[in-house]
Amino acid sequence: MADYTFWLIAAITVISAAFVVLNNQLVYSAVALLFTLFGVAGLYVFLWADFIAGVQLLVYVGGILVLIIFGIMLTNRISSVRISHKSVQQGVGGAVIIWLFIFLSIVILKTPWLNQTAMEPASSVAQVGKLLLMKYLLPFEVISVLLLGALIGAATLSREDP
Amino acid sequence: MTNLQSLDLFWPELIITVVILTALIVDLCIEKSKSDVVGWVLVIGLLITAIAIWNQDKTTTTLFTDMIVLDPFATFFKLLIILSTLLVAVVSWQNNELDEYRKGEYFTLLGILVLGLFLMASSIDLIMVYISIEVVSIMSFILAGYLKLDTRSNEAGLKYVVYGAFSSGIMLFGLSILFGLTGSTNYFIIQKSLAGLDGSASAALVMALLMILAGFGYKISAVPFHFWTPDVYEGAPTTITAYLSVAPKAAGFAIIIRFFHQVFADGGALADAESLSMTDVPWPEIIGILAVATMTLGNLVAIQQESIKRMLAYSSVAHAGYMMLALPVLSIQTVYAIMVYLVMYLFMNLGAFFVVITVKNKTGGETFDDYRGLGWEMPFIGVVMTLFMLSLTGLPPTAGFIGKFYIFSALISGGSQYYWLAIVGGINSVISLYYYFHVVKVMFLEGERKETLVQPPEVMSGVLLATAIPVFLFGIYWNPVVNWVQNSLIFYVQTM
Repeated sequence: MADYTFWLIAAITVISAAFVVLNNQLVYSAVALLFTLFGVAGLYVFLWADFIAGVQLLVYVGGILVLIIFGIMLTNRISSVRISHKSVQQGVGGAVIIWLFIFLSIVILKTPWLNQTAMEPASSVAQVGKLLLMKYLLPFEVISVLLLGALIGAATLSREDP
Repeated sequence: MTNLQSLDLFWPELIITVVILTALIVDLCIEKSKSDVVGWVLVIGLLITAIAIWNQDKTTTTLFTDMIVLDPFATFFKLLIILSTLLVAVVSWQNNELDEYRKGEYFTLLGILVLGLFLMASSIDLIMVYISIEVVSIMSFILAGYLKLDTRSNEAGLKYVVYGAFSSGIMLFGLSILFGLTGSTNYFIIQKSLAGLDGSASAALVMALLMILAGFGYKISAVPFHFWTPDVYEGAPTTITAYLSVAPKAAGFAIIIRFFHQVFADGGALADAESLSMTDVPWPEIIGILAVATMTLGNLVAIQQESIKRMLAYSSVAHAGYMMLALPVLSIQTVYAIMVYLVMYLFMNLGAFFVVITVKNKTGGETFDDYRGLGWEMPFIGVVMTLFMLSLTGLPPTAGFIGKFYIFSALISGGSQYYWLAIVGGINSVISLYYYFHVVKVMFLEGERKETLVQPPEVMSGVLLATAIPVFLFGIYWNPVVNWVQNSLIFYVQTM
């Protein structure tokens, strides 16, 4: 049962991601992105990363995606603009992608990945919190500086007065 | 070391964080016309940071539960970064391009960039590597697009974002493969588990390394990850172009050297030249070919440029190639050569860009036409620019010659399989002679001679002297640089 669910979720993720890229109407792409992000959250659940799955839903689906859709809706006439995906050199690109896909598949199947024995699924929130404030304290703090910089940058670039 | 103990050895970064916040608050309280004051906050803050780094314990240890290290190698790059930031910050006051804009955020972002570069030079954990590269990249995106009213700058910012996002995505994929193989993000643990892997993992390892190389190569603008360089360098404010061509490149080399030495070599001991041969893959050849491609492309395209700023952009791609030449050997001598080259390159490249700024402030242009007869009209600028061009070509008696000399001698002492790299490097230097001397020719031999002499503003003259004197002095007496590099060649090494 778990296997079927996994393949279903994986298929939803991949197909809707392809739809995001291949569709040339912005709103449709944004809606397809919803399913991709949901699918990724599902994959997190399979990895027993329940906290990250929840955050994925809250931040990406609940926040960023809504923001994208708002952005599209509130921008004047953007819904009628057709983004053309007439990319150049499709033949070369296709060949590279197929080659890359085959190579990566072989790599993924043949490599002796480090396996960890399965643990009892437990709530990961406490562990994540501990790691963030102990082992990964410095990255955690640096990210806050990064966000500060990004905020300043966004405000600077979007401000009307130079 | 635990988090609390680490704070004592983390003063420089803490001071920078305080400087960033002070700059932000000061900027809130002043008017747009006075926003130069924020630059003072940054400059004074960086001077204090430099003193803090100078007086720091000369211990070699890991900080924050093995996230970053404190070692003389990192300290060397930190001082280099501070030096270039100080020069760029001072010139930013003089840069006319920024006159219409509020400069508070500009200096604040520059401060955050410095923090990111510091962490890049010292991280030994894949998570920290990624975050520090992102801090640097995102601040660079904003600064490249800072001239909002100029469409070229907008283009520069946008292109930089797209390429940056793409290459860091590829790099993350590579890092995740490495994590999947070894189960750790710590350099030393990865190194130990990689040593225990058998041949069946080598395909994955190649894939991981190529992908990681894409991320690092993007930071030093190596071919084939250089496509963003010319447009970003041309569109960004010239001060930022100068900065991007020096400081992130230096930190990029720091991260490459540390990564390859501590993950794929003998853990940083750098005992012999064979240190990269851990996998069956011909790494020296791959990196050698990338280096040759980088400098050849940089030089050949630089010849065709009309704009001096764009020409210098391609020239900086070529210089990344010269430094990469030494990477395949990966002995202690080549690291030494790269570090010497970085010091020389800092002065000559910043100097050349500062001349571009001075000329643009006066004539408003940056093409070869704007430089006609400039050598007679502004003799000081003419002489200084000639010196920088000589040095960038690598002719004695300038700093550039010493830099190249160390790179080539490191290559030759690496063994006969590296001779071809030295030869290609030599041919490339000859090619570069053409376009560097084109500048000198245009300045002195073309255009009419004007009778009136024009002096650049005093601050600009001072900064130009501050870059020109080292370029000349280190060409004759380079012992101080060599000694400094020699004393900085100590890596933190952990034996597992």
